[in-house]
Amino acid sequence: MAVAVAKRRQVRGIGHERTREALVGYGFIALPIAFFLLFFIFPVGYAFYISRYDWQIFKGPFVGWGNYRHLWHDTVFWHHAVRNTLVYAVFVVPLQVALGLSLAVVVNQAIRFRTFFRAAFYFPSLAASAAIVSIATYILASDGLFNTVLGQLGYHHNNAWFTQQSTALPAIIGLNAWTTSGTMMLFYLAALQSIPTDVYEAAAIDGAGAWRTFWKVTFPLLKPAHFFVLVVSVIGALQMFDQAFLIGGASGGPNYSTMTVVLYLYNQSIKEISFGYGATVGVVLFAFIFTVTVIQRLLFGKPEVA
Amino acid sequence: MDAAQLPPVAAAEELAREGEAAKGTPGTTAGIPGRERGERIRTAIAYVVMFSVAALFFIPFLWSVSTSFRTIADTVGGFSLLPKHWTTSGYHEALHTFNFGRFMLNSAIIATAITLSNLFLASLGGYAFARLKFPGREALFLLVLGTLMIPDQLRLVPIYLMLVNWIPGWVGHLGWHGATFVNRNGVILVQLVSAASLFLMRQYFLTIPRDLEEAAKLDAAGYFKTYRKVMLPLAGPALAAVGILTFQGAWNGLFWPAVLLQDSSQYTIPIGLAYFHTAYQTLWPPLMAASVLAILPILVIFIVFQRYFVAGVASSGVKG
Repeated sequence: MAVAVAKRRQVRGIGHERTREALVGYGFIALPIAFFLLFFIFPVGYAFYISRYDWQIFKGPFVGWGNYRHLWHDTVFWHHAVRNTLVYAVFVVPLQVALGLSLAVVVNQAIRFRTFFRAAFYFPSLAASAAIVSIATYILASDGLFNTVLGQLGYHHNNAWFTQQSTALPAIIGLNAWTTSGTMMLFYLAALQSIPTDVYEAAAIDGAGAWRTFWKVTFPLLKPAHFFVLVVSVIGALQMFDQAFLIGGASGGPNYSTMTVVLYLYNQSIKEISFGYGATVGVVLFAFIFTVTVIQRLLFGKPEVA
Repeated sequence: MDAAQLPPVAAAEELAREGEAAKGTPGTTAGIPGRERGERIRTAIAYVVMFSVAALFFIPFLWSVSTSFRTIADTVGGFSLLPKHWTTSGYHEALHTFNFGRFMLNSAIIATAITLSNLFLASLGGYAFARLKFPGREALFLLVLGTLMIPDQLRLVPIYLMLVNWIPGWVGHLGWHGATFVNRNGVILVQLVSAASLFLMRQYFLTIPRDLEEAAKLDAAGYFKTYRKVMLPLAGPALAAVGILTFQGAWNGLFWPAVLLQDSSQYTIPIGLAYFHTAYQTLWPPLMAASVLAILPILVIFIVFQRYFVAGVASSGVKG
């Protein structure tokens, strides 16, 4: 009898302890969860809501799909913002991935100063985009270092790269391939180091050379890393804003040559104060990024952890 | 992105342990006769390639440092690797004439506030998600990770309108009257904690052995005391990674400051640079000086805490 009471008390004690633990748990996550609900989850629905109104500075009449129809016929959006963003993505993604993988393979070799090289290759990814663009503007100026070096090599180019309609976007592509390759290198490096050594030993015994080993052994084993790097790179490219804003300003000059989807969204929302239309661009971009991510996942299968 | 796509922290820590012999490195065939010469040639080629690429990566930075110490006259006509007349007037102009002293202070205030709040909220939440049991824990954690899929751009308009129309009234009820948020307050508020920070903290807490907490429990220490006295001191590396990455992201951040900062007295360094370089295109020495000043704090932090950067980025896919 006494034992049973003691046991019941103990059980009740444990139950009480569980409740207390749960309450403390909710208390600890209350602030972060409230923050994520208010500033992430809710804005998704609110953005869609706003996009259904003619909302300038103040909320106007409900227009249904009006903003979406307007966007469908918006030539600046399709001919400049979307076109530039896609061109940018098509060129910058392969460059980033190839550069990142090459750098990772090189700094994964057993050589001296590895730490230094990793740091050196990674550093441009860390510096402020505004500072990088300022430096690039200087180097790519009409009489800048780059044109001077080209001149020495016998190729004379006398215009500033960022201010010419034909060269602004290619210059941004080159710039960003350079600055982000360090981040891609780190992702690949983590994956390379998780490949077991015996795989290479087996390849060496079979007499496979370094080149063949890379393409037949290393490259296929990096499949999960390829998926991860590709997703990060594509999403980043579709969201390109900093360089376009810094170089072309909110209007994406010269003559819309640096207008991207996100810059257009910024331009419509903050400069034109057309909130309903800006929100519409945001919803369409989100839907597009979501679709691309799902397609990539289907193509590469369910990713295993690298 | 869900958790399955994120490489585990363990791999990242492996990566962070610099200076060890490379694991799983192709070409460790020393000992096989006839291979050594080819091996040596390949190593030599690798060195040459790496030094050239490293030089390419550094030249832009070195060139900007060199120009930051030049006179304006020294930036046109005739090339020289080093300034002809060394001067710090570029820095003087940047800091005083063009107000970058103020912008640096603004960046420091914003980045410090965001970093402290991330450290507190992410470690508290991370501890709860890693250790405390409560109904709905997994679902709530998925919700946190799900926010990684919501791009900042989609949030721009709704958050802007919330900061203008709702938040001032709400904080008024809490006793903070007349507050406005289309300014520095808003930039800090929308970045108080990130899913990446919280994820990183949770993953690290999961690796800490449980017996240490059991000991605290026997001492009848409360949960908050266990978190503060036992878990936090053990989470040094994760706190360092979160702190450094958050600070770097906030210091460099362009998007939210570009949306919310309208008064030039509150500009951060990136916003200052953005407007400076469109307004005074060819004043290269002060522009390069301001760029160097924007990069320098991050460079120092990077050199001192390199391993945490590598671990943090590789484990969570964070990019500032």
